[in-house]
Amino acid sequence: MLFNFVHLSYTLGTDRIREVTVSGSVDGGAVLVVRGPSGAGKSTLLRILARLQTCISGEVLLKGRSWREIPGTEWRSEVHYMAQKPVIFDGSVADNLAVPFESRVLREKKCFDREQAKAYLEGLMLSTPGFMQQDARTLSGGEAARLVFARALLVGPSVLLLDEPAAPLDGKSREAFYRVLTGWLKSSGRVAVLVSHDGDHKYLERFSFLDITV
Amino acid sequence: MDTAVIPISNLQLAFTVLLVLIAGGISAFLRLGLLRALVWGTVRTFVQLTLVGYALVYIFKINNFWLVLAVITLMCYVAAKTAVKRTPNVPDYPTALAFLSLLASTYLAGSIVTGLIITPDPWYEARIVIPIFGMILGNTMNGIALSLDRLYSEVRSRAAEIEARLTFGATPWEAAHSTVREALRAGMTPTINSLMVVGLVSLPGMMTGQILGGADPRDAVRYQIVVMLMITAAVATGCLIMVGFSYRKLFDRDGALQPFVRQSRK
Repeated sequence: MLFNFVHLSYTLGTDRIREVTVSGSVDGGAVLVVRGPSGAGKSTLLRILARLQTCISGEVLLKGRSWREIPGTEWRSEVHYMAQKPVIFDGSVADNLAVPFESRVLREKKCFDREQAKAYLEGLMLSTPGFMQQDARTLSGGEAARLVFARALLVGPSVLLLDEPAAPLDGKSREAFYRVLTGWLKSSGRVAVLVSHDGDHKYLERFSFLDITV
Repeated sequence: MDTAVIPISNLQLAFTVLLVLIAGGISAFLRLGLLRALVWGTVRTFVQLTLVGYALVYIFKINNFWLVLAVITLMCYVAAKTAVKRTPNVPDYPTALAFLSLLASTYLAGSIVTGLIITPDPWYEARIVIPIFGMILGNTMNGIALSLDRLYSEVRSRAAEIEARLTFGATPWEAAHSTVREALRAGMTPTINSLMVVGLVSLPGMMTGQILGGADPRDAVRYQIVVMLMITAAVATGCLIMVGFSYRKLFDRDGALQPFVRQSRK
């Protein structure tokens, strides 16, 4: 298994009353689709997997290595979490795509590849002329969602944690989104964990479900 | 210039009640609800300053190094405690850290001024050292409070951006350094602005005091220059220590943002 988590226990909400325990695993090239009603702790699970939040107990393994053996900075760039609300920084689209490479951990591995960025944007139907120079703060919700997805791919993680990434996308752009995701998964050593309410798994080739109940 | 201080007699001092009546009259007439605070504030001003006056006479007379040291350290402690009232955005105000940054910055700037510039004899001369350190402290206290408050409010409002940087593999410093800079700027800006307008918009209190005390304005101005610049240096160091140590507390040991940063203010 490329990515798995065992008996991960965590509490929900600020009062920390409800406790959830989940286990799951994904093989290379596949998507783990996390399902469950609102407030079941799907987003929290992703945040814990990304080490943005602590859990009570449990272990996560990436390519057989425990998360305890890997420093937080390296882990977070390998197990990359994409928040539900797209995070846009001041500056142009190109600036936004380059932001990740301001961190040393990432710079040591690779540098910003403008051609690759263009290719991703094109796949996501964001290749109108001058798009790279556009002020990223003026993008529509759907454009912003696809921009941060392209940025996540440029980070080059092994695991993509996606929290309802296609929610602001409609028909054609949603299809494009999943086409790019499926293409990305074809390279070896890549998986995704996807939180999704709707029947988006119909766009995926290889997937399994993880149901969180209340 | 041999004009000495014109003393204010008890009767003359009593006339200040007139001034209080003016402020009180306005408050009463417009029902501002400030009357109680005004009366209490007036009483405190009289009592505190009178006591400080006597205490200073005593301290200046003894002029003992250890006593001066103790007084300044106590002043730092009170300032550290007071600064908390100016930081509404900081849930767990670090008094110990505030004390440390005030102590370090005040002693640094103060020692340069007394040891190198004014050079009184003895070098710990209470009459010089205590007012100088007091002036530094008052300004640094405001500076560190401002910068700490700004650090917390900026990190809160930019939590999503900071967290996104963490997901790119950023260290806490890489994720927060622009916020830290913003906080330092906020702490230092008032002091630097005051360098611009001093003498044009306001005659600073210290200089005014010296002139009233009979000093040649040209000498008073020299002191004021020293004072302004020492305050600037102390505010810069104080803010740097305060913010430099505080920003790390916004992250946990694993380098993730503390949960309270993302939650509503309580």
